[in-house]
Amino acid sequence: MDKKKLGIMEIEPLVRDRYIQDEFNLIGKRGISRMCGKEKAGGRAEYTRDVQLPGMLYCRILPSPYAHAKIKSMNTEKAEALPGVRAVLRYDDPELADKPLYGLETKFNAGHLASDGQAFYHGKHELAVTLEQWKQGAGRVLDGVAWWEGHPVGAAVAADTPELATEALGLIEIEWEELPLVLDPLEALKPGAPLAAEEINNRNNIIRKLKVEHGDVEKGFKEADKVIKFDARRRPYTVADAEPMSDVIQWKGDNVEIWAHQQQAYDGKIIFGMKMGIPLNRIKLHVPYQGSQFGGGGNPMMHHTHGVHIISGILSKRTGRPVKTFYDRKDNFYNLSQDTDCHTSFKVGFKNDGTITSVKIDNICAKMGQYGIDHFEENTRIPNLALNYLEANINVAPAYWFRCEQNHNALCLSLVIDHVAAALGMDPVEVSLKNDGAEGRDMEYLSKFKVEHGFPDRDSLAEAIEMGKEAFDWDSKWHAPGTKMLPNGKLHGVGFTWDHEWDDTRGTACAGVLMHCDGTVDILSQKSDDGLNAMTTHCQIVAEEMGLKLADVNFRFFEEVGFQMMTPDGSCNLAVDAYCTRNAAREARQKLLEYATTPVKVLEIEYPAAFPEHHPDDLDVKDSIVYLKANPDKNVPVAEVVKRAVLNQGGTRAPLFTWNWHRQGRYGTEEGRHRLTRQAYFAEVEVDPETGGVDVKTIVNINDVGKAISPETCEGQQYGGDYMGVGRALAEEVIYDPKTGVKLNANLIDYKVFTMRDIDETVNLLLETGMGYGPYGLNGIGECIATIVPGVIGNAIYNAIGERVDDHPMTPDKVLAAIEKAKAKRGDVK
Amino acid sequence: MVQKHQDDGGGKKITLKINDNEYSMVIEPHWTLREVIHDKLGLTGTKEMCDKGACGSCTVIMDGRPILSCMTLAIECEGRKIETVENLEVVGNPLVEAYADNHAMQCGYCTPGFVMTAKALLDRNPDPAVEQIKDALEGNICRCGTYPAHIDAVLDAAKRLEGGKK
Repeated sequence: MDKKKLGIMEIEPLVRDRYIQDEFNLIGKRGISRMCGKEKAGGRAEYTRDVQLPGMLYCRILPSPYAHAKIKSMNTEKAEALPGVRAVLRYDDPELADKPLYGLETKFNAGHLASDGQAFYHGKHELAVTLEQWKQGAGRVLDGVAWWEGHPVGAAVAADTPELATEALGLIEIEWEELPLVLDPLEALKPGAPLAAEEINNRNNIIRKLKVEHGDVEKGFKEADKVIKFDARRRPYTVADAEPMSDVIQWKGDNVEIWAHQQQAYDGKIIFGMKMGIPLNRIKLHVPYQGSQFGGGGNPMMHHTHGVHIISGILSKRTGRPVKTFYDRKDNFYNLSQDTDCHTSFKVGFKNDGTITSVKIDNICAKMGQYGIDHFEENTRIPNLALNYLEANINVAPAYWFRCEQNHNALCLSLVIDHVAAALGMDPVEVSLKNDGAEGRDMEYLSKFKVEHGFPDRDSLAEAIEMGKEAFDWDSKWHAPGTKMLPNGKLHGVGFTWDHEWDDTRGTACAGVLMHCDGTVDILSQKSDDGLNAMTTHCQIVAEEMGLKLADVNFRFFEEVGFQMMTPDGSCNLAVDAYCTRNAAREARQKLLEYATTPVKVLEIEYPAAFPEHHPDDLDVKDSIVYLKANPDKNVPVAEVVKRAVLNQGGTRAPLFTWNWHRQGRYGTEEGRHRLTRQAYFAEVEVDPETGGVDVKTIVNINDVGKAISPETCEGQQYGGDYMGVGRALAEEVIYDPKTGVKLNANLIDYKVFTMRDIDETVNLLLETGMGYGPYGLNGIGECIATIVPGVIGNAIYNAIGERVDDHPMTPDKVLAAIEKAKAKRGDVK
Repeated sequence: MVQKHQDDGGGKKITLKINDNEYSMVIEPHWTLREVIHDKLGLTGTKEMCDKGACGSCTVIMDGRPILSCMTLAIECEGRKIETVENLEVVGNPLVEAYADNHAMQCGYCTPGFVMTAKALLDRNPDPAVEQIKDALEGNICRCGTYPAHIDAVLDAAKRLEGGKK
């Protein structure tokens, strides 16, 4: 098959899709119902939490009551004797001796403390621990040492009911040795600080160091008209996902079945297979609907995925019964990802016209941090950049990516632009446009790059700003900081921020397209549904490319079929995954037309071709009907064309099946592969000077998604991300008791997830410049909104008060303190 | 040695009326209605999220009112008329389709709780204003943040109900 003729691109990560149709029947169309919608709204969608098998046992794991402690002795006799308890797995059982928690068998091999996609991009990081300690990660799946309160340690119990499993945990008698703990990354780095995990690092609490320097920052400060310094803090927030974690494993002789609530479920299977010594072709993987994870439940090396698999597996093997290991809501708070605690200091030099000459960032983070410099490197023309990064271990729950690993990078860019605008008394929109670029180079360079690589030469940020300004009425609403009080007595503020549109998660994916003898199509690939409407999106693409009705294509991605896609989809990975479905569909369409023009033999009977006198090039397909281009009245339904040709036992034709794989860039970020699309945000807030409460009136999102396959899905990510982002800006914070390290708000009442009333209005605008690296020129959207919105809310609060609250979340106490500070500066205080 | 067991005599045989079916079963006094509906009867549309009365994912309709089944003891529900999300498509309620058409879900885990809350609203007010929809749904948590789409879906369903009457 001539791939060139079909417009299927080779693996050239820098070359965009050159095939953009002007007109689509299904792609980009509104009004297409979610294919999973009725199942989900009608309660028929099955999640791992819902899976029940005959004879299934329920397993719970002991959470550590201490933030740092060792088990001196443990007596499980009473738990074992409780009627209904079928097995107790102890940390000192031989099955666990060789079961480190974090597997290194998959692409996620960066170790547990820094497994973000970007970790090794810079190539300048320095591990403060040995590689062996690094690999050792968090010890074993079940260990005798706890590094945070709630750490799954000591024992796991499998019993007939969930209640019995919980009751049995309470009967386990443990003598603990409490160890000194450290909860603050700054404290942790001081000489003589308690060691947070001496098993990983017995000298100090440093995990990772990183230095980045581009240009000469000192020279840049000298060239500047003005130099400012400021500090910012971002406190940890957590996933608080919808479906509490669980898995089900059924061990039957030589074969194992897994039901996984896991974003990269196949990677989880690989780790499980390797650790348990089971060949991968003996493991059947089911991945039901996923009750949201946002990446925070995505890491296949974490306890809630890899850890529970090993525990369920061992206990199922022991008991001969299926085992569901489950977390309750509190366990979920303890073991899924929380975003890291960051202390960041900035020094910024700039010209009087808003051109930034130099940025220096000193950043100290807990657990797995985020550097903070990346978006200056990737999206600005700022020539001089420096980063000093230190990562400290502390005795709190794990930190990993969580919608997403760019949180701190996005906030740092937002803060610097807004601080510079404030220092100059300029509109932040102007400062943003002054500094937009890539890797220290300006828009002129980017224009040349776009033209050279076949992209449309459009200025994404300028276009996004124009759209947003108009929708928001920015020019009339913008005012100098701290200068507008409304008739209702509240302080009025507006904010702006921007960033590149996400194109981060690149990698590989594969998928098959199989047509049945009734003309309907199955897309074959396993992926985890994270709510990004991948089912409909890929069906739209395949139906579009094959000329089929949407109803004739289905994508039930719940079973492992040998092909895997990346997850989540629509977030970033659609830029990878959609190449597979699109390319496979194009080849399948070509095969279909070949079948339509050649006779088929079933046993001894030869049936004529549907279009015997014609060549495939004479034909086209629309609405599941093959027709002669020269004479559309001559047409045959697809089902009629293939009814004898495919999947017929007596037939002489191979199945109408095609498959494709695609590699999109390398994993992580890449120099020279510039981000071309941008996103911009405008927000309006009212701050109550009496209570410090912040009302979010409007957020206008403008996202250049390159090309929207499903506009409603993209908009869902926009307003959905707004709610999460505003929650992070104003309320979401994991709070620990400073003396004991006990988590104080591990439930959905005290941990504030924002609801319907928390934003008055979101306006969701899509820009489609076609400058994404994905097929049809598309880009991701899902991760970026919640990541960037805290920045725009902070800028709007500053505009209202006239004083910064650069300590997220910006809770009423901090807002009130800033208001007082602003009053004192103005001389209002009597 | 402690020899406690869950079936230590506290159970009581009662009949639960759910979606026009009657289920006679022995209920332990501490079992919540959510556990019984989801775990024992396999009506898995009634979801466990917070297990603490904070999120609304386990909402069912009892005697016409939306209630949190995780905060309700099943043993107290004898004789009550209980409706779960699975009943909506059976009776042809337009909410399910309106939710799908308006993309009023992402991961979908909390969606049945919203749908049942909306159903209870439309049962008593078939033509709600936007503010009334917000009043009804503001207690439900959707971590994906799909809130604006719920307004559209409920208004759409109300329109379809109206159309059905004509």
